[in-house]
Amino acid sequence: MSNKIIAMIRKELIDAARDKRSVMAGLYYAVGTPLLMCAMFFLLIGQLTSPEDLNIKIDNAKGAPDLVKFLSSRGIKHGEAEDTKEIKLIISDDYAANMAKGLSAEVILIADASNEKLQNSIRRLERSLQEYSGEMGSLRLIARGIDPRIMQPIKVNVKDEATPDSKAGMILGLATMTMIYAVFISGMNLAIDTSAGERERNSLALLLSHPVSTWEIVIAKITAVTIFAMVGLILTLLISKVAYSFVPWQELGFAVSVNTSFIVMMLLVGLPVALMAACLQLFVSFMAKSFKEAQSYITIVLILPMMLAMAASYNIAPEAIQWLPISGQMQALIEFIKGRELPLTQIAVSSAFTLAIAIGLAIGMQKSLKSEKIVFGL
Amino acid sequence: MLHGMYSQLRAQISPVLWRHKRASAAILLAMGMIPLAVHADETNNASAQQACYVDGLSEQMQCGAISVPENYAEPDGKQIQIHYVVMPATKPSDRKEALLAIAGGPGQSAIENAQGFDRMLTKVRQTEDVILIDQRGTGQSNQLQCVGDAFDSALAVDESLFDTRAETQKCLDELDADVTQYGSLNALKDFEAVRAHLGYQKLHLYGVSYGTRMAQLYMRHYPDSLVTVTLDGVVPMQQSVLAIGNAIARAFELLIEDCSNNQLCHKQFPDLKADLDKVDAELTQAPQISLVPDPLTGEATKLTMTRSKFKGALRMALYSPATRSLIPHAIHQAANGNFQPITGLYAMSMDNAGIAMGMHASVVCGEDWQRLTPELREQTNQSYFGHEMLKTFAQSCEVWNMPAVDASFSEPIASDIPTLLLSGELDPATPPSWGEIAMEKLSNAKHFIAPYATHGVAYQSCGNDLIAQLIEQGAVTELDGECLTEDIRRNFYLNASTVEAIPSDDAAKSDEQTALNQ
Repeated sequence: MSNKIIAMIRKELIDAARDKRSVMAGLYYAVGTPLLMCAMFFLLIGQLTSPEDLNIKIDNAKGAPDLVKFLSSRGIKHGEAEDTKEIKLIISDDYAANMAKGLSAEVILIADASNEKLQNSIRRLERSLQEYSGEMGSLRLIARGIDPRIMQPIKVNVKDEATPDSKAGMILGLATMTMIYAVFISGMNLAIDTSAGERERNSLALLLSHPVSTWEIVIAKITAVTIFAMVGLILTLLISKVAYSFVPWQELGFAVSVNTSFIVMMLLVGLPVALMAACLQLFVSFMAKSFKEAQSYITIVLILPMMLAMAASYNIAPEAIQWLPISGQMQALIEFIKGRELPLTQIAVSSAFTLAIAIGLAIGMQKSLKSEKIVFGL
Repeated sequence: MLHGMYSQLRAQISPVLWRHKRASAAILLAMGMIPLAVHADETNNASAQQACYVDGLSEQMQCGAISVPENYAEPDGKQIQIHYVVMPATKPSDRKEALLAIAGGPGQSAIENAQGFDRMLTKVRQTEDVILIDQRGTGQSNQLQCVGDAFDSALAVDESLFDTRAETQKCLDELDADVTQYGSLNALKDFEAVRAHLGYQKLHLYGVSYGTRMAQLYMRHYPDSLVTVTLDGVVPMQQSVLAIGNAIARAFELLIEDCSNNQLCHKQFPDLKADLDKVDAELTQAPQISLVPDPLTGEATKLTMTRSKFKGALRMALYSPATRSLIPHAIHQAANGNFQPITGLYAMSMDNAGIAMGMHASVVCGEDWQRLTPELREQTNQSYFGHEMLKTFAQSCEVWNMPAVDASFSEPIASDIPTLLLSGELDPATPPSWGEIAMEKLSNAKHFIAPYATHGVAYQSCGNDLIAQLIEQGAVTELDGECLTEDIRRNFYLNASTVEAIPSDDAAKSDEQTALNQ
């Protein structure tokens, strides 16, 4: 019995390997996505962080030479070149006069705060101005024989409970989503090929005519697709592990690393998901009348897990999704990444759901393979 | 701000004249010391490391402590706790390395200065853990602090009437410690023990001010534990810190020169040198007594403006570029009878820059006081501060009774560890010439002088970038001090409010005129 299944799994895998192109197409995703993600993060970090030398426009710089010098010591300078940011600082004409009288001297900061690329630079400029103002304020008080500490009646001491791991959680959440998705994409082509494809090649009927039960056929096909899905997942994880270590995360103030415990966790959680993905894709492909139809249906069906995964990583859905397949596991994984306690119930319930759906679909498939309509695609 | 070796004048002039703000903290610490006197469990010499926070930083750090014998010659004797903080790297490298940052003083707590270290070492922290250790006798590590209670107000006291010997004796009697064990060499053993405890194979060192002495001793005694060393504000082993008097006098001269070279400052304060001498002479005659609002409480309080307060406040102001810029105005006002700016500057230095005076005395009396040669003593005596310091330490060191360190202590450090030396031209404590002395037998070192920096170059210039580069490359060959020459000088304060050129009255009137016309 089990020998028969193993023989059939081998048959499915050999079949799959024969059509190298479509097999590789599935694995391209597993290899390419982590690389693309890294490229994206590279660009994002470059755009979000303020450049070491921030060039802005400073008007009437000679009205406040000391301020300009201070800003320049903070790397903020007047520039005319192309890399000059769209930020303008205007020093008012009566700056020196007001300053000399002990009044507030006005500077005007002009910038578009909705421009995300500028936000860090604007904040940096504001911070530097604040620092200058604070320093001068303190010295003005000292010059009047007053201890500047009286200007800070409340000292706020923030104790941030975020750990380096939890800061990286948001990014890894996004990465986790693409990894879960790898499970669906990697096995997809094989799933279509081994069901709708086999039928189109007229080998399905031949297979059924052999002395094997429909159960055995279904299990072999599911196993083959699951193996592909898991290979995809392993590839994604390994490539992520290497690629993510090259991204300059430290510029964001935390580090993202795909460590061994995360990989193990991901594989454990990924297995039931891969099973369900295999069942779902095979079931849909069997239901479709042709190879092409199967492809279109599966693309539509894949939106569902995608949405669940997104809902989980962006935390935008009702409480109920924490028990659903995929979203439940994703949320639990994100908690795990953030270094918090692993929510075992959540993982157990959502994984049970996942397996239940997989078994349901497998039974459905087994039944349908007994119908001529399905077998001959009528 | 002040990483001062000798960060406090009063501290020098009268080593037990610290009260008030520190008082409550010091009492708490004294209570905290009692359990430390109890013998620690020998088998468990390290309390568990745990997540913690340090003042001024919201990020989670790792804190811990190890038990070490107070006297290494008696390993089973009294144990003291050496506290440390590890500031984790944002993106740790695989190497088992870290940077150990050593504070100045002697007597400052590295942990209390965590915020300053963090800001300065931002780039280093991207890849390296940063360790801060409260050196024995400072901060949380069995702090040797004295609580004076002889006076009701630091502002009212006349320092010349102060009995150094009696106050030092009282301080010694209050301390529950063998103060002779709190020198640099014992502290060095603690540092190495912390390194081993934390499991780092090698360390990068950053020492500032007195911390450079600790770093040099590390190079001498545990060279195998080090990758790179940065000495910022160098105290060469060959030099007694008591020679600081000349450095202070030099910094005053540089300030007056700076002001006369600065068009705005010279125009506003054309007779700065004369002003300074005038106030100095007046206060030498007799202190000025007046009623002023207390800088903190605002209540009317007696101010005895002595020469010691005046010169001490100015000296402390020389440490940071920000307060330095106020000095010409402060001197000029004082010459006109207004001591408000001086009072303000003086108030800033009243907490001794957090220096644990007991530990301070242990280091200076054991390592610097006794090695003064008669010639150096003569030379030091010529400057005001040198003279006052020698007078004070003559009395306090007699009480403290520290055994002198071995003569070999003063030998130059011979080492080929990649070493970066940073000196600030305007430094009122460790002048660039001291850096040159330290270079004598360093075969793999570079010494850069930042023309516009005071004490603690890495805090005021691109010196911190050089440190990050040194740590990344592990060598000094490619270091280039060019960026240190960038002119970061700020204007002097021209009145109590501004650093920008004051518009002349005519100009101001015509401004108002145009404003009215509009």
